[in-house]
Amino acid sequence: MNHGIEHLFNARSVAVVGASANPGKRGHIILKNLIEGGFTGGIYPVNPGAEEILGKKSYPSLGAIPEPVDLIVVCIPAAGVPALIREAARHGVKGAVVISGGFREVGNLQLEGELYRASQESGVRIVGPNCQGINYTPNHLCASWPLIRTQGSMAIISESGTIGAALAEWAEEDGIGFSAFISLGNRLDVNESELVEFFTSDPATRSIALYLEGVKDGRAFMTQLKQATAVKPVVVLKAGRTVRGREAAQSHTKSVAGDDAVFDAACKQSGARKVESITELYDAAKAGGMLPGLNPSLLIITSSGGSGILATDAAESNGMHVPVLEPEVKAALAEALPSQCILGNPLDLTGDTDAERYAVAARIAAHWKVAANLLLIFGDPIPKAGEMVDRLRREIPQQIIVSYLGGGEEGKIESRKLLDLGVATFPTPERAVKAISTLITKRKDLAEKEFFSTKTMPKEDLL
Amino acid sequence: MPDALFLTEPACYRLLAAEGLPIPPHFLAHSPEEAAEKAALLGFPVVLKIVSPQVVHKSEAGGVRVALADAEAVRQAYRAVESSVHAFRPEAVIEGMLLLPQFQGGTELIVGGLRDIQFGPTVMFGLGGIFVELLKDVSFRVAPIDAAEASEMIREIKGYPLLNGFRGRLPLDLEALAVFLADLSRLLDRHPEIEELDLNPVFLFPEGLALADARIKVTA
Repeated sequence: MNHGIEHLFNARSVAVVGASANPGKRGHIILKNLIEGGFTGGIYPVNPGAEEILGKKSYPSLGAIPEPVDLIVVCIPAAGVPALIREAARHGVKGAVVISGGFREVGNLQLEGELYRASQESGVRIVGPNCQGINYTPNHLCASWPLIRTQGSMAIISESGTIGAALAEWAEEDGIGFSAFISLGNRLDVNESELVEFFTSDPATRSIALYLEGVKDGRAFMTQLKQATAVKPVVVLKAGRTVRGREAAQSHTKSVAGDDAVFDAACKQSGARKVESITELYDAAKAGGMLPGLNPSLLIITSSGGSGILATDAAESNGMHVPVLEPEVKAALAEALPSQCILGNPLDLTGDTDAERYAVAARIAAHWKVAANLLLIFGDPIPKAGEMVDRLRREIPQQIIVSYLGGGEEGKIESRKLLDLGVATFPTPERAVKAISTLITKRKDLAEKEFFSTKTMPKEDLL
Repeated sequence: MPDALFLTEPACYRLLAAEGLPIPPHFLAHSPEEAAEKAALLGFPVVLKIVSPQVVHKSEAGGVRVALADAEAVRQAYRAVESSVHAFRPEAVIEGMLLLPQFQGGTELIVGGLRDIQFGPTVMFGLGGIFVELLKDVSFRVAPIDAAEASEMIREIKGYPLLNGFRGRLPLDLEALAVFLADLSRLLDRHPEIEELDLNPVFLFPEGLALADARIKVTA
C-alpha cells in the first residue's frame, strides 16, 4: 500500500502530455493552472505540433525533455495512453494523472485492462483515468481545474470530479482553501484507501472529505479509516446504491440490508462520520479542520430568538446536549447582563447587543463550565464581532463556533475575517450545529477524552 | 440456486453448537410415535417443523405446527405436516420432523448475517416480527466485533427502549445478547462460505436468550 503515492503530490517536475494552445482544451487549462498556481518545479508541455505553449517551450515527446520528469498529466486520446505510460516509465516518470476519458466508463474494458497492465508492469502510479486531476496546495501543484491556490487543511478525495470541485470552490469562497483535491475518476490504480493512508500522515491535512460511490476493498478501506480517524476526522458522503446480488434476497437479513446499511456500519466501526449531502460533507470537513473537540454539550448565545430556537432544534435532533442553566449561572448572568436578556439555553442577548455582551456571557459560561461548545449566533450587524471572538478564544478553553446571518455586508466581511482567523463560521445556525454534531460522538468513552481540554485553534497553528 | 444451498435446521444447529453458540434443545423424529415420545422429553407445549433440504420456507409449505399441548396433538401434527409438504412439493425428501420447545414470554428478535460484496461477512440484529418486516429497524456491523461494539449495535436501533425496561417492562438480558452477537460475528468471520444466515426469531428473556429457528445459506 501507498507505494510511491507521495511522488504524485511531491513531484518536482511535471509534463503535460497533450498540452494545447487552444484555451478550450483541458491540455491548455491544466498547463495554465500549473503555471498560474505557482508550481516552482519544471513545467513541460508535450505536443509534437507546437513550438511553444503559454510561454513554455513545447517538446515533441517525453524523451525530448532534457530534465527528469516526476509526474505527467495525460490529456491525449485514450487509445494512446497505455503506450504512453510504458514510455513514461522508461524516462523515469513515477506518476501519471490521466485526465483522458474513453475507458471503462464508456464500456471500453479492454483498453482499461491494457492501461492497468501498463501501470502494474511499469510501476507508474496512475490517478484516473477519466478524472479531473489533482491539486496539492503545499506543493503549489494545481494539475486540475478550477485553479485554486489557497492553502488549507482539508483533503478532498472524490469519485466525482464535479462534486470534489464544488467542495474546492466553496473552500476557496470561504477563504479556507484545502490541502489537497483528488479526483479519483475510474480508480484504476490509486484508490481511496491508499489516499486516506497518505493523508493520515500528511502534516498539511487536518481533515479528510471523501465522496465515494463504492469502495475497492472494503476491509482495506476500514483499516485505513481506523488509522486516519484516530488522528483526524474523516467525513464520508456515499452515493450510488449497490443493488447487485439483491435480486435473490431470500433471507430476512438480506431483505432488510438497506442500500447502505453495511457501508454505514463500516464507517461507524472505523470512526468515520457519514453525511447525507454535499453541503454536510463540506461543512463537517471544514469544522473538522478547525475543531478538535468531541464533546456533545452546547451553549447557544444569540442576538436572535428565532435563530436560537432553530439551533436548539437542530442540536437536539442531532444528538447534541443543550444543558439548562443552573440557578447560580443564571444569577451570575443576571448580574452582568442587561435586564432584557433572556437567561436560558439558548441565551438570548436580544437585538440591541454589542460584541462585548457576548464576551461577558461567554466568560461566565466558561467559568461555570456550562458546555464544551459555544455557538455564537450574530443575527444582526454587530461591529467588531470578529475581534471579540479572536480575543475570547484565547481566554477560554471552550470550542467557539460562529454563525453570522442577517448581518448584511458587515456580516459577510466579519464571517470572512473569522474564517481567516481559523474560527469555524457558518452561514446558518443549522449548518453550524449539523457540522459539529457530525464530528462529535455519541460514544461516551470517546467524548470524555477531549472534555474542556481543547480550544479553537488559531489558523497559524494549522499550517 | 445451483451455486448455493441451504442447510437444514438441525444442520444449522450443529454448525452453531460446534462454534460454541447456544442452541435450543431439539430432537429429530422419524415417525408420529417417536415425535410424541421426544415431545414428552422436551415438555409440552412444543413446536414441530418439517426437515427437508427441498423446503427452505417451512411455513409456506405448511411445514410448521406450534403450541402442541400433548402427545396426540404431536402425532396429528406430524401426519398433517407430512401430507401438506407432500402436496406442496411432491419431490421433497422428508428427513423427519424437528421438535423444539414452545418458548413463552420472551421478546422476539431477529439476528442474522450476510456476506457483503464489498465488506465481507457482516452481522445484523433487530427487533423481530412487525418491527423488522415493516420498519426495518435493524443495525449492521462488519464482522467480527467484540461485545462492546455489539452493545453499541443494540443501542442503535430505534426500538432499543423496548428491550431496556420501557414502561415497566422487565429489562432484558442485553449482556447475553451482546455476547451472542459477538460470538456469532466471529463464526461468520471464520466461515466465509456462509452467504446468508437468519436466526428468526430469537427470544430474549430477562435472563438469557433462545433460538427458535435457523436458516443458513452456504456457497456450494
